[in-house]
Amino acid sequence: MTKILVDCDPGHDDAVAILFAARHLDLVAITTVFGNAPVEDTTRNALAICELAGLHAPVARGFAGPFLGGAPPFAAAAHGRGGMDGAEMPVPSRAPAPVHAVEMIVETARRHAGELVLAVIGAHTNVAVALRLEPRLKEWLRAITVMGGTAGPGNIAPTACVNVLSDPESAHVVFSSGVPVTWIGYELTRTVLMREADIARLRSGGRVARTVGALAEFYRQSYIRIYGIDGAPMHDVCAILPFAVPDLVRHEPAALAVETGPGIARGMTLVDRRGIRPGLGLPPPRAPLPPNVRMAVEVDVRATIDACVETLLSYP
Amino acid sequence: MTKILVDCDPGHDDAIAILFAARRCELVGITTVHGNASLENTTRNALAICTLAGLDVPVARGCEAPLVGAATHAGDIHGRSGLDGAVLPEPDHAPIDAHAVDFIIEQAERHKGELVLAVVGPQTNVALALRREPRLASWLKAITIMGGSTTVGNITPAAEFNVYADPEAAAAVFACGAPTWMAGYNVTRQTGFTQPEIDRLRRGRGRTAAAIADLMQFYLDGQRRVFGLDIAPMHDVCAIFPFVRPDLLTHVEASVEVELSGRLTRGMTVCDLRNKRAGATGAIQEARRPNARVATSSDARALISEVIDAVLSYP
Repeated sequence: MTKILVDCDPGHDDAVAILFAARHLDLVAITTVFGNAPVEDTTRNALAICELAGLHAPVARGFAGPFLGGAPPFAAAAHGRGGMDGAEMPVPSRAPAPVHAVEMIVETARRHAGELVLAVIGAHTNVAVALRLEPRLKEWLRAITVMGGTAGPGNIAPTACVNVLSDPESAHVVFSSGVPVTWIGYELTRTVLMREADIARLRSGGRVARTVGALAEFYRQSYIRIYGIDGAPMHDVCAILPFAVPDLVRHEPAALAVETGPGIARGMTLVDRRGIRPGLGLPPPRAPLPPNVRMAVEVDVRATIDACVETLLSYP
Repeated sequence: MTKILVDCDPGHDDAIAILFAARRCELVGITTVHGNASLENTTRNALAICTLAGLDVPVARGCEAPLVGAATHAGDIHGRSGLDGAVLPEPDHAPIDAHAVDFIIEQAERHKGELVLAVVGPQTNVALALRREPRLASWLKAITIMGGSTTVGNITPAAEFNVYADPEAAAAVFACGAPTWMAGYNVTRQTGFTQPEIDRLRRGRGRTAAAIADLMQFYLDGQRRVFGLDIAPMHDVCAIFPFVRPDLLTHVEASVEVELSGRLTRGMTVCDLRNKRAGATGAIQEARRPNARVATSSDARALISEVIDAVLSYP
């Protein structure tokens, strides 16, 4: 069974990603980072999800802000002040692991060298620092799977999404690391909507499903209010799918680079879609970028949401 | 009939834009700029097109380099002359004495409230004219731009050539406040001559259509070689259509800003389409105020058919 470490910022959709990964894969650890909320909140939320579902994966706390500093843009509008508002969560009975997320990532990858998939579904700070601190990490990892960025319109900026715009320099390190990267962007994940009827099914389930149903309903209301979209988008679970239920996502090779300049496109995940023929020897700027990711181009939305609902209903 | 001034860098698709504007609008003048080739070449090419088609239109030379940095040319697409592929006649007249910037201002003042300024090359001349004459934006009926993109670029992954070739000038033009239309590469790359349409031009009786068919064959071959596209995109003429057949393009009102300091995205038109996506009706935080009507799709076959009819109408 594929071993996976989920680096995340729960977050409503992160919660579903964690629960999905724990059922379909061998979830060996969770690391937390700032993003949807401050890292204290995302760490508490991760522990609360584990408590709720009886998961034993260690949870290690990571960075509170981006590599270059500055105030991170928390997503309270969508996720509430606690980062995961909308349900009464159990109080965690355990504390975070006594190591930093960076150490957890490096040690877990060393232990499972060649086997570990690293899912990056929050800001990329923990992973970027780990890659720089331990140069062998890129050889130990089997793959990195990312939810973040967009190949279309963004969310918090016209062309950028929060996970990447939160720390573009770190995202650059991750995407250019040389580790095989599987990538899905916001323009697709925003269509993977858990609808009212799906949420109603969750509410007829066990304690875990009922709680996640309440979280999903809060998140759905946020999306109606902010985006005029009627559904709770399951962004983060889309990064787990390729290693859990691979036929639900179709990928194509693509060349992706992160804009780290200071301008209005900062944080953009730029995909080279010009179709420039390889081997023409064209000089820059016409020269094509080299392919470096497996980019999701299509998701079976209905089957994905059904898989999420079934998975959540399988919990007590 | 709409009065129009075409500011251009011919260029294969520029040639078509000139011929189309002269037939379907009142073409009051042509100004030239660096871009697809050097200013010297783009000016000679504009004059040669006028001579070929028998157009008696003033041509004014403009700027030979962008506001910042060195000029970029597109020899890989348009050939060394900027208009390779056919033997064009020697120009039978010279450029007028006035600089393009002065000519633009003079024409806009003369046709106050009526003139459409079509900017289908790098925007250096127009940016300078806007600075030189602060009333220019209020005199123009509209500025219609071929440039930028809402999606993919051509010269870089993010940037379309005309805006990349002078991003600072483009920023000034998009911010000028005149009613602005943008036909970007997102639409224009899908709006072009197919091989059968070039063959149809070749069967035309006039020398203009014959020469244009040769030019378009060269241009199509370049598109096939570089981009794997099987059409010869008529980028520039798309900017003319809102004033001739507005029904053949679909537009959305959107904010367009030019990226000036990107490491990878310099020269990109950052279009805020977050509220324009299917199914989205909410007010996204910080959505920017619209400053342009941005083309999002075209009826390519009908548009190209209009273009072919115009070219075939020349001697």
